[in-house]
Amino acid sequence: MDVSRRDFFHIAAALGIGLPAVASAASTPKRADEVGLKDIYQFNAKGNVTLLHICDMHAHIKPLYWREPSTLISAPNLTGTPGFLCGESFLKHYGMQGKTLDAYFDTFMNFDALAHKFGKMGGIAHMKTLINHVKKERGADNVLLLDSGDTWQGTGLALKTTGEAIVKAQNYLGVDVMVGHWEFTYGKKRVKELIEMLNAKFISQNVVGDDSFADDFEELIFEPYTIMERGGAKIGIIGQSFPFTSTANPKEFTQGWSFGLRLDTLQTYVDKLRKEEKVDCVVVLSHDGFSVDQEVARQVKGIDFILSGHTHDPSPRPTVINGTVIVIAGSHGKYVGRLDIDIQNHRVKGYEYKLIPVAANLIPADPEGVELVNTLYAPHEKEFSEVLGMTKTILYKRDTFHSPFDELINDAIIDTMDSDISFTPGYRWGTTVLGGEAITMDSVYDMTAITYPNVYTFELVGKHIRSLLEDIADNVFNPNPLYQQGGDMSRLGGVTYDIKIGAPSGKRISNIMVKGKPLDDRKVYKVSSWGGNLQNAGTNLRDSLTRPVYDVTANYIRRQKNVNIDGTSNVNILDYDCGCPRKGSKSC
Amino acid sequence: MERRSFLKSFGTAAACAALLPHVASAADEAKKVVGPNEMNYETAVAAITGGKALIPSAKVVISAPEIAENGAVVPVKITVDSPMSDKEYVKAIHVLASKNGNVRCANIYLTPANGEASFGTRIKLGGTQDVVAIAQMSDGTFLTAKQNVKVTIGGCG
Repeated sequence: MDVSRRDFFHIAAALGIGLPAVASAASTPKRADEVGLKDIYQFNAKGNVTLLHICDMHAHIKPLYWREPSTLISAPNLTGTPGFLCGESFLKHYGMQGKTLDAYFDTFMNFDALAHKFGKMGGIAHMKTLINHVKKERGADNVLLLDSGDTWQGTGLALKTTGEAIVKAQNYLGVDVMVGHWEFTYGKKRVKELIEMLNAKFISQNVVGDDSFADDFEELIFEPYTIMERGGAKIGIIGQSFPFTSTANPKEFTQGWSFGLRLDTLQTYVDKLRKEEKVDCVVVLSHDGFSVDQEVARQVKGIDFILSGHTHDPSPRPTVINGTVIVIAGSHGKYVGRLDIDIQNHRVKGYEYKLIPVAANLIPADPEGVELVNTLYAPHEKEFSEVLGMTKTILYKRDTFHSPFDELINDAIIDTMDSDISFTPGYRWGTTVLGGEAITMDSVYDMTAITYPNVYTFELVGKHIRSLLEDIADNVFNPNPLYQQGGDMSRLGGVTYDIKIGAPSGKRISNIMVKGKPLDDRKVYKVSSWGGNLQNAGTNLRDSLTRPVYDVTANYIRRQKNVNIDGTSNVNILDYDCGCPRKGSKSC
Repeated sequence: MERRSFLKSFGTAAACAALLPHVASAADEAKKVVGPNEMNYETAVAAITGGKALIPSAKVVISAPEIAENGAVVPVKITVDSPMSDKEYVKAIHVLASKNGNVRCANIYLTPANGEASFGTRIKLGGTQDVVAIAQMSDGTFLTAKQNVKVTIGGCG
């Protein structure tokens, strides 16, 4: 490994060589190696009620590595605001120190080096110990555990058990209420079966029947809200599932159900909870996405707290808009958000929040959780633990445009299908494999385990490819958060392009090159894609080539044995100089 | 035909069947005669208002999804805040899709006996565009509101 002076400084910090510690009471900004369980648990307890919040676990019941993005850019009005912060800009915005445990969890900086020192994140056995600690401190009757969804999908285990293993994990954790998004990709029937197995309530005010021949036409599919009493207070919780489920995921899974933001009915339920149900506190449990929920807070009056999800942002401090406090708790089980609320005379008087990192090496595992995980994994262990090959460099998922693991998947697809171009979706879930480590079948499933895994190969004319790219870019970079869908840009194999993110819709992409040659608008290209609807836009679908992406990827890695991903982005950003720009700036 | 696709085409047909058969101004006749189904957005608006100005108004409320779940059947509801009395009422609600090949989606004529000025339908949107509602008021003014509806092939987080 080459070690630059800067790297050495960070490694030195990680290993505790020299350098003074910086201490503060608010969070855990001690030098990372000095942080202990006490610092993780440290909290200025407040009031009578505690809401524990998790989101976007993506079925990771075991600890994992998860590197945050090194490029996170949106429209110029949003870049550098909460939801579009990374690296140095993230630390600056939240007033955090680098080289701390929190910085290791929240940013990509020095990830490889710090990962070796501090180890994995999350895992239900560790989360449970933390949850038990809070319940003991506060009294179990004063604590609620709320889950913003994207919990049932994301690993091989979730896929093989069609969600059941994860429901068992939620029951073990003691989840009280949840909403959904990827949950729906198991299909309506399975969703209802899993809800039967789930001890938590599944609520959503924004899922309505739209089949005029069905009994539930224009009726709510789930309870829109629930009221729970904790610490002597009535807490009204309204559910908001992912508004764009039917556009972002195949429609067939939710045929007959209509989603959408439905802010008018959301306002109605907020008012109803306050005036008719006389609750003391109104909470929206949401899978809208962090930036969308900031817009929701601007448009809907009277919400005390939005517990957000979908966009996987760690947010160490709440964002407050029009008196509504918005929190979001990262992804993949890396964090548990703790929100203490002081409710007096039927009103919220104050609150205290901390995004608690689930550092698996520091928070001891609950033995019952370890046993549950082992039992659930046992039938699949042989398949999942197969070492497919080794990676020389770090493989991760998150980035606005390009990631090494997606590059590997695109390489596998192009190699297998002999296609000109490969589209891999810009999902925000996946995993991280450190440089020098083994790529297992489990890691490949972590990146690809969906209920519609097929790689399709078809023909598209150049002009169509251009307009598809523009369409996808507008879903990612629309200056109005309500028109974004919360994903990152699709990852392209075989293609390089320039993008001007701040340009108007339809005019962002230029200089598209396919295999080094300019895209010809009239030429027919052989395109492969998975995880989206692009094949519907193509012609001459080659059914004989259609295969699940996890098989394509696994076989490719087996053939390669040693993977060495270049990692250079194939996208040239014209209007920003770096991956984590500050607010109102082109640069970092 | 499947029940669902039947419903789809029915919804689409219903949305665009309510076209005003013939509204043509003198200006139109002087130029090339344009049928109501071929009018561009500006001409269609002028045919409704007779050239009067549109007044953007919070009294006109469009309820439509931000992102269409299915561009072929986009649910749209228009409500106009009006007492609907003999003296003050909404005479008509016009629904337009600004970039459709046929921009005119529905013209609904009302009387005070309707009680409230509210109308819902499903319209077909050929692409991302503004859905525009024009309320023709009894005092001769034209109130308007619009909402952008995104029609996309998808892409996800």
